[in-house]
Amino acid sequence: MSRHEPIGPQGLRQDGRRADQLRNINCKPSVLSQSDGSSYIEQGYTKCLAAVYGPRETRQKAQILHNKALITVEISLAPFSMSERKKRKKFDKRLLEIASAVKQTFEPIIMTNLFPRSQIDIFLQILQYDGGMTQICINAATLALIDAGIPMLEYVCACSAGIVEDTTILDLNNSEESLGIPELTVALLPQSQKVTLLQLETRLHVDKLESVTAMAIKGAKEVYKKLDKTSRDYIGDLLQKSNPT
Amino acid sequence: MSSSLISPSELDYIIRGVDDNLRADGRGRLDYREVILETGLIFQANGSARCRLSKGTDVLVGVKVEIGSIEIDGTDEEVAAVKAKRGRVVCNVECSPIASQQFAGRGADDINNELTQLVDRVLNGPQGGLNLEKLCIIPGEECWVVYIDALVLDYGGNILDLIFMTIRAALYNTRVPKTVIEEDKEVEISDDVEEWERIEGWELVPISITLNKIGTRHIVDATVLEELATKAKLSVMVNKNGKICGIQKIGGGSIEHGLLNEMMQTGRSIGQNLILNLDKMLQKEDEINAERAKNDKIGFFAAA
Repeated sequence: MSRHEPIGPQGLRQDGRRADQLRNINCKPSVLSQSDGSSYIEQGYTKCLAAVYGPRETRQKAQILHNKALITVEISLAPFSMSERKKRKKFDKRLLEIASAVKQTFEPIIMTNLFPRSQIDIFLQILQYDGGMTQICINAATLALIDAGIPMLEYVCACSAGIVEDTTILDLNNSEESLGIPELTVALLPQSQKVTLLQLETRLHVDKLESVTAMAIKGAKEVYKKLDKTSRDYIGDLLQKSNPT
Repeated sequence: MSSSLISPSELDYIIRGVDDNLRADGRGRLDYREVILETGLIFQANGSARCRLSKGTDVLVGVKVEIGSIEIDGTDEEVAAVKAKRGRVVCNVECSPIASQQFAGRGADDINNELTQLVDRVLNGPQGGLNLEKLCIIPGEECWVVYIDALVLDYGGNILDLIFMTIRAALYNTRVPKTVIEEDKEVEISDDVEEWERIEGWELVPISITLNKIGTRHIVDATVLEELATKAKLSVMVNKNGKICGIQKIGGGSIEHGLLNEMMQTGRSIGQNLILNLDKMLQKEDEINAERAKNDKIGFFAAA
């Protein structure tokens, strides 16, 4: 079997993971000084910083929504984040598309009706990219929104899954994505078990859809555990610091 | 914009503090914040570094070297002859909107351009330190192009100084692959990482020291609020040998001639000391990186 096969003879993937294994997730809330909430998350070699500003006064009068808050999402990609250096324009169409997917994912979850006529900005900066742009953006934004203390109905956790022959695999990296493996990204509300985002950009047989979706949901639940533990630990630390007795 | 407002009482507090040589965070006029430095964090780049000024400003720099063609513009033969034997450095500075709300949308365009031009000018001239002739592969045809991309991640004042510091650290961390020219002028790149070399002259890359005139006095390493109280800024680019490699006055106010000289001298001596300290940190960084590799610890916030 050639080394370009996505799954080797021992059932391990190119980067040594099992089929149903997530990449290692490291995350930390509250890493920036100027924003109201921020977070850093890395999933394998994909690394992302998120900053949240607001709720605050809407900057452009024409955009004011009188019954709820306006949410904006902006994604930037560092020029050195991919293997080939590429200076992306700020308004790259692909990034705009992902930004609007992130925005639509969060709009029903953030309790925007509490802040009429105001604005919440979510900025995402990808520092290093190795696959899974949409999912890391959603996960980073969730953590930053929690850090900013913005009321949300529940967490949003995203994960991707794909299928190679008959094996479903979890959390594709860039080299797996570039092999043309069908990739499905799911954003899950872990408490109500609802799916708020579902994205599939290649062809996938209907019979396989269910198992791939189930795999992505399973991954998203793991992400939830990690995010929940991180934010609980962080809040616990803060409490301890403010109340040493 | 709300972030660039300062109240009269805050302003008064800062000016009086500077006058008494005691700033809001306890520093004296000429004290720098603690610099936290990490190198080699981005595996797609040939070199990278991240510097942070205590809990404020944060800059990440990635250096990529790629083979490009030598560009000879202009008709002057002498200039063309020099350019034909040289590699190129391309700089780019970007202020991310995560750093500050003033960089959102198109808000960072002006400052990005200003900083990019300044950094590019300093590093591409003879004062930049780098030995560009070593980057030439086939004279007149191919050379290494060094892409230096700086990204401002967090804004706590004094970004220009930190950008230069981080670029210097990233260049220290950069390795350029060895090349072999074959008979048919095909360039072969060696895969042996051990053979890769640093760009010659990285140690002479200047850093910048920005002096902020507040009231009648001047301070270094201003915070966001102090920058708002600043009348005029003077950035002095200094290299390891204490040579001044560039001066740029920024901001609306004016500086008296007598004070100008004093500010330049202060900048020079502070810069030289800072470079010594940074070099010590860089040497330690090699050991730390070896340690990190053993523990398989990858992460931006491992140090901070």
